[in-house]
Amino acid sequence: MPEATAASGDKAATAQQNKGTRPQSALGLGVGLRNTHFDHILAEQPAVDWFEAISENFMDSGGRPRAVLRQIAQRYPLVLHGVSLSIGSTDPLDRGYVQRLRRLADEVDARWVSDHLCWTGVLGINSHDLLPLPLNAEVLAHVTSRVHAVQEWLGRPLVLENPSTYLRFRDSTLGEPDFLRALCEATGCQLLLDVNNVFVSCYNAGTDAQAYLDAFPFERVVQLHLAGHQHCGTHIVDTHDRAVSEPVWQLFRCAWQRSGGAATLLEWDGNVPAFPQLHAEVLRARQFMHDASPAHATAAALAATPAAVDEGLSTPVDFLVPDVMQRSRLQPA
Amino acid sequence: MSAAPTLPALQQRLLQALIAPAPADRASAADWIQPGARIDAAACLDIYRRSYVLRLRRCLAEQFPATRHALGAALFDDFADTYLRDCPSDSTTLYQLGRRYADWLERNRPDRDSPADEREDWIDFLVDLARYERELFHLFDAPGAEDQPWPDASADDSELVLQPCLTLAQYRYPVAGYYHEVRAGRDPAFPPRSDCWVVVLRRDYDTTTFPVSELHFRFLSLVQQQASIDAALQEISAWTGRTLDAVRQSWRADVRRAWVEAGFFLRRTTGVHDKQR
Repeated sequence: MPEATAASGDKAATAQQNKGTRPQSALGLGVGLRNTHFDHILAEQPAVDWFEAISENFMDSGGRPRAVLRQIAQRYPLVLHGVSLSIGSTDPLDRGYVQRLRRLADEVDARWVSDHLCWTGVLGINSHDLLPLPLNAEVLAHVTSRVHAVQEWLGRPLVLENPSTYLRFRDSTLGEPDFLRALCEATGCQLLLDVNNVFVSCYNAGTDAQAYLDAFPFERVVQLHLAGHQHCGTHIVDTHDRAVSEPVWQLFRCAWQRSGGAATLLEWDGNVPAFPQLHAEVLRARQFMHDASPAHATAAALAATPAAVDEGLSTPVDFLVPDVMQRSRLQPA
Repeated sequence: MSAAPTLPALQQRLLQALIAPAPADRASAADWIQPGARIDAAACLDIYRRSYVLRLRRCLAEQFPATRHALGAALFDDFADTYLRDCPSDSTTLYQLGRRYADWLERNRPDRDSPADEREDWIDFLVDLARYERELFHLFDAPGAEDQPWPDASADDSELVLQPCLTLAQYRYPVAGYYHEVRAGRDPAFPPRSDCWVVVLRRDYDTTTFPVSELHFRFLSLVQQQASIDAALQEISAWTGRTLDAVRQSWRADVRRAWVEAGFFLRRTTGVHDKQR
């Protein structure tokens, strides 16, 4: 199962080299770059600290998306965030994908390149979902070898995000913070802590979100994610289609302070609002960043409030599919 | 409880559960998945299964808005669910999700065993419409010529080659007209059968469809194949039985300026020339 890659000595050297080095992580408050905002950003050049672009929306683009990204990269710091690396899959790694990702990262001078601790498919099929892994020693070895390979091909440390999860496997023996800590120590990879995903996963599993943060290896965190979710009563779905909930802001306060002020980004992918509203939502983070309260959220502050009727879609796709119809016309005969 | 599956076996099992049309069996799900805090293991798994179907169905709908309009949302969704089971995504990008959709519609048409002249018109129309939508989607993000200067009408014929982000297509129905009626928010009727030929191209990141005559379509196809306007004019002359001078005169007087100005052509460079060959 492990991928053959660099010699073990090289891997250890890379891991040691990456250890403790955070790539310019204090970028400030950014937002996820979405197609619907291209024109506004180009025309208005809003005072956003930085943008995060979905890698797959641009890495194979020969059209407007990539041209726009190049323009935005001239003015703003950019980070690439992927959804198809499938680092935990038992299918072979797609080296062509990683090479195209590296070309894009070089082209736009990406500050770092991230994806998720997950798998997206197997047997050549891509589910386009961020599927959970059993967390145990065998899987840790498997993912470790693949992270080594990807980092070698990318020529930079990989940044991995904790996914939102809706199930846990019976043969999981490690907690996610412990798994990620061990992975970082073995590979030198770094972490993107999605605070909303912590809240969602912990609620669904019936575990303590604050305890999750207490166990998390913050020394490896270069970035934080914020997003909205949908509370369905019996479970929570990571919908990215609304404002950040109050309990997630409380977790953010703790996470931001413990990470030493990591770059923070708001994801909003369904029912995407106008850009000024989106920007205003991420700027709400300022209220929590320098709050003098203890960097620890109380159980009362983390109480979730059910509000849903119809269950929303986890990881919505609107932001992954361009509006082709809008830019098409018919010449009269 | 059975032994824990290996990681490959577990991943195959979970993927099959996502693609399956029905929720997982409660007992077998509990065998390998822990219950959630408030729902059982099968319900946990079903969150992923529901999202898988809804996500990809929505994605397909966004790639084929006019086909969805023609079919109606319910029937489109039924077709989409079957298509996604038959042709699950094999790409790292969702842009490729609809790549096989038109061919799948053609292969799975209910009258596929009937003689060609007895097949349903409306299915032919839907297949052509899906092909057209896929072509638009492809051209939207295909490598283009936006970084190169456009020639003007003063360029010599020998300097002109078709630009790379251009497709010549032939349909049995006026699907481009139908598509743009839907785009305008109208509810067009299925158009009657009428062979049509179009040029679809992208310029300055906008995609435009130009209806052309059959003769013009043949001429442009020859230009595309031979990367030479002069050679194409000679073949058209031989095919129509008209003199080369008359054909050249028609080219220059009737279409040349409009097509150059619309972005059909680029100035010949080694790279473009080689690409078209």
